[in-house]
Order: sequence, then C-alpha cells, then structure tokens
Amino acid sequence: MGLFGAFGISGSGMTAERLRMDVVAENLANANTTRGADGQPYRRKEVVLQQAGSSFGDTLAGVQAAAIVQDPSPLRRVYDPGHPDADAQGYVNLPNVNSVSEMVDLITASRGYEANVQAMNTAKQMVTRTLDLLR
Amino acid sequence: MALFDVTQIALERAIAGASARQGALASNIANANTPGYVRSDVDFHSALARELSSDDAARGVDSLAFAPQKDRRGAARADGNNVDVDSEMSAMAQNSLEYGTLVSLARVRMQMIQNVLGTR
Repeated sequence: MGLFGAFGISGSGMTAERLRMDVVAENLANANTTRGADGQPYRRKEVVLQQAGSSFGDTLAGVQAAAIVQDPSPLRRVYDPGHPDADAQGYVNLPNVNSVSEMVDLITASRGYEANVQAMNTAKQMVTRTLDLLR
Repeated sequence: MALFDVTQIALERAIAGASARQGALASNIANANTPGYVRSDVDFHSALARELSSDDAARGVDSLAFAPQKDRRGAARADGNNVDVDSEMSAMAQNSLEYGTLVSLARVRMQMIQNVLGTR
C-alpha cells in the first residue's frame, strides 16, 4: 500500500463519521415523533461501526458502517391525556431520544471527522513532498 | 560501488516505511470509534536499524518490506478500542516531519549525483 491508501482510509473515516452525524440529526429531529414508519413511536437509531475488510491488500482498510440499529431501551412515558396518541391511562409513549446524549454523540462524530480531515491533509502534504523529488 | 549506495537505498526504504506508517495511523484515526479495534503501527526504524547493522546490509536493506503490526499496549476503553486520537495525531505529525526530512535528504543526495554527472 502506498501513500494513496491513506487517502482511502481517511475517506472511509470521514464517511463513517458523517453517517453518525446524519443519524444523530435524525434522532434529534424525531425526538417527539409518536408515529414512526411502523405506526409506533420513533426509536433512537445508532450506527454500528466495524473495521473494513482488507480490500487494500494489507491489514488496513479503514472503517465501515456495519448496520444502523434501533436502541431497544424503554420509551419515555409522559402523562398527557390530551395527546391524540395517549393510551387508556392517559400516558403517551415518546421516543427514547435523549437530546443531551445525542449532542455528545454529535460532538464526538464532529471531532472524529476533523481528525480524519487532518490525517488526509498530512498525507497530502507528504505526497506533495514526494513530487518535489521529481523537480 | 553502485550508483545508489546503501544509504540511498536505506533512505528510499525509510520513505516507504514512513508512508506505510501514515497508512496505519490514518487507519487508527478512521477507527477511533470502532468497538474492539486494536491500533496498528509500522515500526520501520528498528527493522531498518537491524538490517543496516547486518553483514550484508545492501541486500538486507533492499529487500525490506514493512507490514503493520497490532499494538495492544495502552489502555483500552470499555468497548475494547485502544486508540487515543491525540497520540495518533502527534505520531502522525512526527511521522510527516520525518518523511519530509527523508525526502529532502534523498533529494540532496540525488542532486549531488547530478552535479557530478554535470546534468544540472
């Protein structure tokens, strides 16, 4: 693997972190959605990252998203008898989205993205230095 | 003595080693949030030093190849990942400077040959 492999690896990291940001955005947007695609309250989603297979020839191949899974933790139950989705006792099941932990995830993803950008810039500088050899 | 001596070949291999290390460090940063990931690194310094001190340094250095090694040192987080982004970034900065130095050295040595040949 030459230096160009580092570009692919950093690129995969940027893709993965951006996917995490997208999922956090969806969680925050649906923090109060009581009717998801299946008619049930929205459940928080989470990205599962895994090390990518050795498609670059070496043991290093960056990162990839294995799956987007739903968080099975219990839904928030809020007493709101006037809500159209309230049950017989007057409770509404709200999504299990905690906006504070979503913001923490967002910052982690953003910092991870920056680190990958920095790594790619470093690789770019190194390639530029190598091209100087030809001058 | 051949046109390219052991030092020049060693410089070339060191550049290849630093380049492989950049790939390993980039992989560590890309997997900073992957559960169970074990960081990898390329220790091209000790491999080069070993070959340079051997009896047949020219042949040994020329055939050097660098493969990333798993590095299980360092505290792993609860998810089994032992990547510390700060130390990866500083290792990357160091590796990049080292790479630049090696390339500059290789370039100066090539200019010396060109000067002798009168091609510049």
